[in-house]
Amino acid sequence: MTLAVAALPPELRASLPPELRGLRRDRVRLMIVDRAANEVRHTRFDRIGEHLGTGDLLVVNTSRTLPAAIPALRADGTLVQLRPCVRRDGEWHALAVEPLPPHRNVPLVLGERLTTAELFLGVVVGRRADIPLLWRIAVELPDVALMTGVGEPIRYSYVPEPVPLEHYQTIFATRPGSAETPSAGRAFSWELAIALRREGVALAEVVLHTGLSSYQDDEFDLEHRLYEEWSEVPEDTVRAVGRAARVIAVGTTVVRALEGAARDGTLRPWRGWTDLAIREGSPLRVAHCLLTGLHEPQASHWDLLRAFVGAPLLERAYAEAVERRYLWHEFGDSMLIL
Amino acid sequence: MSGLRGKVAIVTGASRGLGRAIAVSFAREGAALALCARGPDALRVTVKELRAAGAEVLEVVGDVRDARDIERLAALTFDRFGRADVLVNNASELGPTPLPLLADYPPGAFADVLRVNVEAAFRLTQAVIGDMLRRGSGVVLNVSSDVAVSGYPSWGAYAVSKAALDALTRTWAAELVGTGVRIHAVDPGDMDTAMHRAALPEDDPASLLDPAYSAEAFVRLALADPGTDRVRATDLLAPAG
Repeated sequence: MTLAVAALPPELRASLPPELRGLRRDRVRLMIVDRAANEVRHTRFDRIGEHLGTGDLLVVNTSRTLPAAIPALRADGTLVQLRPCVRRDGEWHALAVEPLPPHRNVPLVLGERLTTAELFLGVVVGRRADIPLLWRIAVELPDVALMTGVGEPIRYSYVPEPVPLEHYQTIFATRPGSAETPSAGRAFSWELAIALRREGVALAEVVLHTGLSSYQDDEFDLEHRLYEEWSEVPEDTVRAVGRAARVIAVGTTVVRALEGAARDGTLRPWRGWTDLAIREGSPLRVAHCLLTGLHEPQASHWDLLRAFVGAPLLERAYAEAVERRYLWHEFGDSMLIL
Repeated sequence: MSGLRGKVAIVTGASRGLGRAIAVSFAREGAALALCARGPDALRVTVKELRAAGAEVLEVVGDVRDARDIERLAALTFDRFGRADVLVNNASELGPTPLPLLADYPPGAFADVLRVNVEAAFRLTQAVIGDMLRRGSGVVLNVSSDVAVSGYPSWGAYAVSKAALDALTRTWAAELVGTGVRIHAVDPGDMDTAMHRAALPEDDPASLLDPAYSAEAFVRLALADPGTDRVRATDLLAPAG
């Protein structure tokens, strides 16, 4: 369900990380959406501590971003860019797009052999029945070694120049696996995280390796087809949630991981694939609040936000963010739903 | 001994000299290892030997000059082991030999030495320290030298780089107070290594330390806080009294 709002002005898409725009990573703007007061307020990210306190638990996604745009050579000698969205059991479910913008989808051929950096990458074995734009490719090389060796970060049109991979990593990034950066945590600096800890705000982790946010096909993107993502909720996090007065999920990926692990009503340690869709009316058993970036109102992201906030307040927040020239997407500003 | 059992250690420049000796000592203490070096052949020999002795070893061929290789080393370590407890920034570039006076030093070589000895240590530490800070535990050990504090002719960029590495260590140590994460600069002493032979070919090897001896200081530092950010291996290992 889309919101009743105007389209996002294109110049509000952040084209560079704040550090490369002359700002510190934690000095982006922060919009507070206060549900109890039915109010929208505006502050700066590094002042987030004014809205948090002892007993609050920030749950962050520690997934590290992989350079997931993989150049491959097709059997006919042309180049294609693969964007693996799901990687499981030696098989990629990958988008195949043109190597250059606008990166339109390219049909592969069943049985086709693909190579990368003169190594045999894999063979096309089919396409996903539910998401036909994702090609099933049997891959023989170890994923992380391959991707970190030849890949580049996936970049959309609003980021015109390449940005080094380290700028895509959050300060929490540990185990690699995300195709796109889990950007809600991006604005945290260690200076801020250490200060919050001193003030009694606890930190816990989940892992959710993200897939792709776009299939490079406008009509298909509007259908919001969800796919499974690998997630892990460790025992320590379950215990920390049990002790917390308030659980603040840092990112929709964290909501998916936590609520997926609490599907039967109680949060339990979890390690596996999750395909939980969260939208208006979905029960929220673990996450009380949400810290998130700003994404296009058409994106499935806003469906998930509807589980936290009613449409009128969310529409107001969106309108204020546009009016105040908030910046959108992974390098942009933030929103805290309290 | 098993003081480092369950711990994961990353060592750069691990195929030869001090790096290799540190890897061997850490393995003996039960650590799992991520070892990085430029030359695949020498690294393979070290890795094979350690695996034969029962160690769990990840082998990463890479050049710390290259930001991609640094990110790759961090990513592969976390992919394999899920954590990093100890990081040893050991990979060092001596510069052109015979060592030239600064007045004669090729500027490109000067920049390269700083890139390897300072910038790479900074980048790799930054790539892994987030995991340590989140867990509130970890140790970073930077290999320094006495040339960082004393002025010897012809040590040029190497001396400058090690002084900068000491400053990096000192500043970072001040920032890490209270986090549970430690960082130290370690002067391993004059050792009988290929680098030392290249720098001072006339030195008598019998007068030099065995890198295996200096490596013990790194084991001690991985296990316990000496209470200072700069340490000389010989002081740490000297019998008390």
